[in-house]
Amino acid sequence: MITSNNGFFDKFGGKYVAEIIRRPLDDLEAAFNKYIHDPEFIEELRIIQRDYIGRETPLYFAPTATELLGGAQIYIKLEGLANTGAHKINNAIGQCLLAKKMGKTRIIAETGAGQHGLATAAACAKLGLECVVYMGEVDVRRQQPNVATMEMYGAKVVPVTSGSRTLKDAVNEAMRDWATNFKNTHYVLGSALGPAPFPDIVRTFQSIIGEEVKRQAAERHIDIAAIVACVGGGSNSIGVFTPFIEDKNVRLIGAEAGGIGPNMGENASRMTGNASREGIVQGYKSRFLIDEDGQSLPTRSISAGLDYMGIGPQLAALGESGRVEFTSILDKEALEAVKFFARNEGILFALESAHAGAAAMKIAKELPKDKALVINMSGRGDKDIFITSPVFRPEKWKEFLKAELKRLENNEDIHDAEIMNK
Amino acid sequence: MNLMSHLIAGFPDAETSIAIADALVKGGANILEIQLAFSDPSADGPAIQTASTVALEKGFSTKQGLEVVKKIHERHPETPIYIMTYGSLAFTPGIENFVKMCKDAGVSACIIPDLPFDCDEGLTEACKKHGLENIPVAAPSMTKERLETMASAGFKYIYAALRAGTTGSETTIDQATLDFIDTVGKGGAKVLGGFGIRNGEQSKVLSKHVYAVVAGSVFVNIVLGNEDSAEGRKKAIAEIEAKARELTGA
Repeated sequence: MITSNNGFFDKFGGKYVAEIIRRPLDDLEAAFNKYIHDPEFIEELRIIQRDYIGRETPLYFAPTATELLGGAQIYIKLEGLANTGAHKINNAIGQCLLAKKMGKTRIIAETGAGQHGLATAAACAKLGLECVVYMGEVDVRRQQPNVATMEMYGAKVVPVTSGSRTLKDAVNEAMRDWATNFKNTHYVLGSALGPAPFPDIVRTFQSIIGEEVKRQAAERHIDIAAIVACVGGGSNSIGVFTPFIEDKNVRLIGAEAGGIGPNMGENASRMTGNASREGIVQGYKSRFLIDEDGQSLPTRSISAGLDYMGIGPQLAALGESGRVEFTSILDKEALEAVKFFARNEGILFALESAHAGAAAMKIAKELPKDKALVINMSGRGDKDIFITSPVFRPEKWKEFLKAELKRLENNEDIHDAEIMNK
Repeated sequence: MNLMSHLIAGFPDAETSIAIADALVKGGANILEIQLAFSDPSADGPAIQTASTVALEKGFSTKQGLEVVKKIHERHPETPIYIMTYGSLAFTPGIENFVKMCKDAGVSACIIPDLPFDCDEGLTEACKKHGLENIPVAAPSMTKERLETMASAGFKYIYAALRAGTTGSETTIDQATLDFIDTVGKGGAKVLGGFGIRNGEQSKVLSKHVYAVVAGSVFVNIVLGNEDSAEGRKKAIAEIEAKARELTGA
């Protein structure tokens, strides 16, 4: 089950969309199938991956974590070192380049944590495309640093005020825009979900993560027993898992957002909780957090990027077949993982990626010392400083914010003040 | 002329949505398209999404929605009711269960845009079995080939969305629109045409080319902003009747 069968991964996937969105999907599918086999396109992409994204990213051996966790050798795939700070750039660059080949001049995207929006904004700036990013109002608030960065790249960030004002609503809004403007606009969907061909496209562009891990492991004789990755929609996980799906010696583990508990509305666990069911939402069939009528249920996670009610159809199928194991990580466990890897390895995980880190901390000791456990660090945690600082150092953070606000209100030139040592 | 007018079950509340149906029928609407609110109505514009959110926040469920439908059907047994909703609400309880529930409420047809005609999870079959019609939605952006396949698939009605994009924005009826309508009806299906119809002039032009003119957001917009007070709702209902009269030329 490495690629879809006409858009389906077993029973999941499909193109369940109103006809208004069908044409752009079919056009995209045709273009993708053409360019992905075009050596010129592949070469252009490869050069951008090398020189702009900064691939390959390191597969880092984490000695202290290995010693402290007392089991498998811990390796961390540092996707956070990719330009713009997360794996999202792999897909954004791929799709924007494809859109350019299709003659599109305008790009729209949806974003939760902001990493995909940021990556798309950067890709557009690099490739000379207009960029509009839809983002739930709630996420705009909790991911301000990413909003500011997107604007610096020249993107227009549109806060979405409908529904739950999070990622799923941003997806709806982007779909609407696309339905109206597809003649000149491409919708860069950020995860391996949505209607076909998006799950195939996103997986293809993200598989470079797993391909590198495989090559790096072979070169260094690393015997991988398990790979763990966080799963919101699932683009980083399917990206790192794909080259290993056929290799049954490697356990593939997805970490979902366990939020604050197991009850409905407290988490975003589609594969491990008991609240999820099979459904057709936002253009694809998968497992969703929906009620018995089919209405979407509220979700919760400290990490905006995992706070989504659906899961990519391929991962849902791999989960149901048992090939991918799923586990659920609580907010507080993710925060503990952020602290653990920052203190012991000097690596700052994004809150999303910290779910994978936390799962690894639990699994490591189950595995023998001569085997490797690879954590896909999908992104780095600089962007989360407004969420993690109030937890780790609340008083100092409060003082900092108050002081900054006061200076802004007084119209003080903050940077001049710093330079002048006032 | 035939007018298929749209309302959302349970918006702004169950009682008022029944009064809205009464006003639409009084104003000359002869088909009622009743939407069951969904949390992620991706093919709808802001007016219908906002109205759906209001209905859901008040605890709307499919069961309650169909109770509203049943009451409307009992009041207007001669006016066919077509249910419009999204695939999630039909798929989750099981397509056949859903169709049966609709049948029991007095529904004549289903319009579910994200269950496309060639991937409908058995909707057309289930409708046939229970004596309902499945009405697919055609869009002008469809390829000629796909549109012709849909047109000749034996559907009794096809809903022609007259513009790219979602509901609620203005639509211009030009030659391309009329050509599109002709293609939709090529296989003998009766064409329900709409998207962005706001005034009598538009519906008059359109009525010569379609079996029924469809209008939705124009009615929903009248209610939006007026739903919080009894007086506002009363005013909205009167306006809805007047708008239906304008659109039907009655």
